[in-house]
Amino acid sequence: MARWGADPAPGGSGGLVRLYHVSKAYLAGSWALRDVSLELEKGEIAFVTGPSGAGKSTLMRLMFAAERPSEGQILLLGRNLGRLGPVGIAQLRRRIGVVFQDFKLLHRRTVEDNVGVTLDVMGVPGPERKARVFAMLKRVGLQHRRHQHPLSLSGGEQQRLALARALVNDPEVLLADEPTGNLDPELTLEIMDLIASVAARGTAVFVATHDHALVDRYGKRRLRLEAGRLVEDVRLGRP
Amino acid sequence: MSARARVRLSLVGALRGVAASPVTSAVATATIALCLLLAGAFALLLTNMEQVLTRFGEQVHVSAYLDDGLAQVEQEQLLARVRGAAGVESVTLVSKEAALERFRASPFGRASLLDGLDDNPLPASLEIVLVPEARNRGGVEALVASLGGVPGIGELGYGHEWVEGYARAVGAVRGLALAIGAVLALATLLIVANTIRLSIYARRDEIEILRLVGAGRVFVATPFLLEGLLEGALGGGLALGTLALGFRAARAVLGGGLELLLGYAEPAFFGLGGALALLGAGAALGLVGSAAAMTMLRVARP
Repeated sequence: MARWGADPAPGGSGGLVRLYHVSKAYLAGSWALRDVSLELEKGEIAFVTGPSGAGKSTLMRLMFAAERPSEGQILLLGRNLGRLGPVGIAQLRRRIGVVFQDFKLLHRRTVEDNVGVTLDVMGVPGPERKARVFAMLKRVGLQHRRHQHPLSLSGGEQQRLALARALVNDPEVLLADEPTGNLDPELTLEIMDLIASVAARGTAVFVATHDHALVDRYGKRRLRLEAGRLVEDVRLGRP
Repeated sequence: MSARARVRLSLVGALRGVAASPVTSAVATATIALCLLLAGAFALLLTNMEQVLTRFGEQVHVSAYLDDGLAQVEQEQLLARVRGAAGVESVTLVSKEAALERFRASPFGRASLLDGLDDNPLPASLEIVLVPEARNRGGVEALVASLGGVPGIGELGYGHEWVEGYARAVGAVRGLALAIGAVLALATLLIVANTIRLSIYARRDEIEILRLVGAGRVFVATPFLLEGLLEGALGGGLALGTLALGFRAARAVLGGGLELLLGYAEPAFFGLGGALALLGAGAALGLVGSAAAMTMLRVARP
């Protein structure tokens, strides 16, 4: 396992997410991310911490191919993102789940449809879609709100809805940007228990957070970014 | 998911899009309706102009003057022969007596001009109307060449200048129609594309989210294309309805004046084919406009 930004073995097996010397510059010479290498295995939960502007969100955007790295390569589920065309990227995204810091909910659609859209994209038939959406909403405690619209939900409920949408397709990789940022301590634990249970079933989870208590409680692995560089990559004991 | 379910999903997406931004959708539909109203009015005018030209065209004819002394039977044999010639629509036999009657009835016919003559000097003739495709210089000359030298036909006459003038008029009207039609279609397409672009731009967040959850180009684009198609067809329907009302009102207000404008031709509205063409044009404009708008906004990129 790579430590402190060391090279994961190219061509090795097991890593669902693998970054090789990845750098990203939005302006020439101004690096948002610099020479980051890491590997995330099946069932592993990694927390990435660091001050604002350290590159956490950039790292996540690179991992779901919203942007391409300026240098280096990213392998997601065995596929090199740099070599994928639009169709390949779309197909790969159906196998991952992403929770965005700003939720990115469809405000004109119901709670049920916000979760169901992931399954629509995958072509899941109606009856199965309905059952899976209901089960997922029940897991995050929103089944009674399924016919409402996101704007009628509280911040915490919207966050749970975003998580439900990311998990309904049983993703192999879950990328979550501050998934508990708007939740009270009790709900935070419930949501993190849910994420931990997802990881226990084999999903590789990557969580960007400022909440050190969360890292201490659930963190099996802690990554720390500073000024775009990976300055720490430590595995902690099981909670 | 079955193809039927996918189509239903896309259709629901399209209707949801219309419901989500009703004002923008109404503007897009109204724009298409207005543009098609202009184009449709022009097409309607052109259709009726074609009627006038067709009536004028019927006057493009060839007169075959028959030799004096032909028996009735011989004249009728010639009539049958000419009827069978290429490019001939109809033939009328005008006897010497009928020709004289016509001359006397015409503004130029003065009884005094013929007073000194014992015999009727006017020959019997065959008045030949050509099929519409042959109502041009080439068609007339081909017929004249085929009838020249036929025993019993003494002379062939036709209004050379009239034929050329008619052909020029038809060519000019059709050329003008093509040019104006092309300009109107392009202008309409640009306006429609820009209007639909506003509708798509208003929902860019939704498009981004769909992309992020793995929607492919077809999944993202189809509801917008269907939305454009529906708005276009609706716009075409509105244009057709407005034109029908306008046509009816024009007939009621202008009465016989309209027929006078059209050279005594009966004013005609679009038939089923024309109506369907206008609806289809609206749907096609909406579809192409949506596709153009999505290309402009690069909606289908990952």
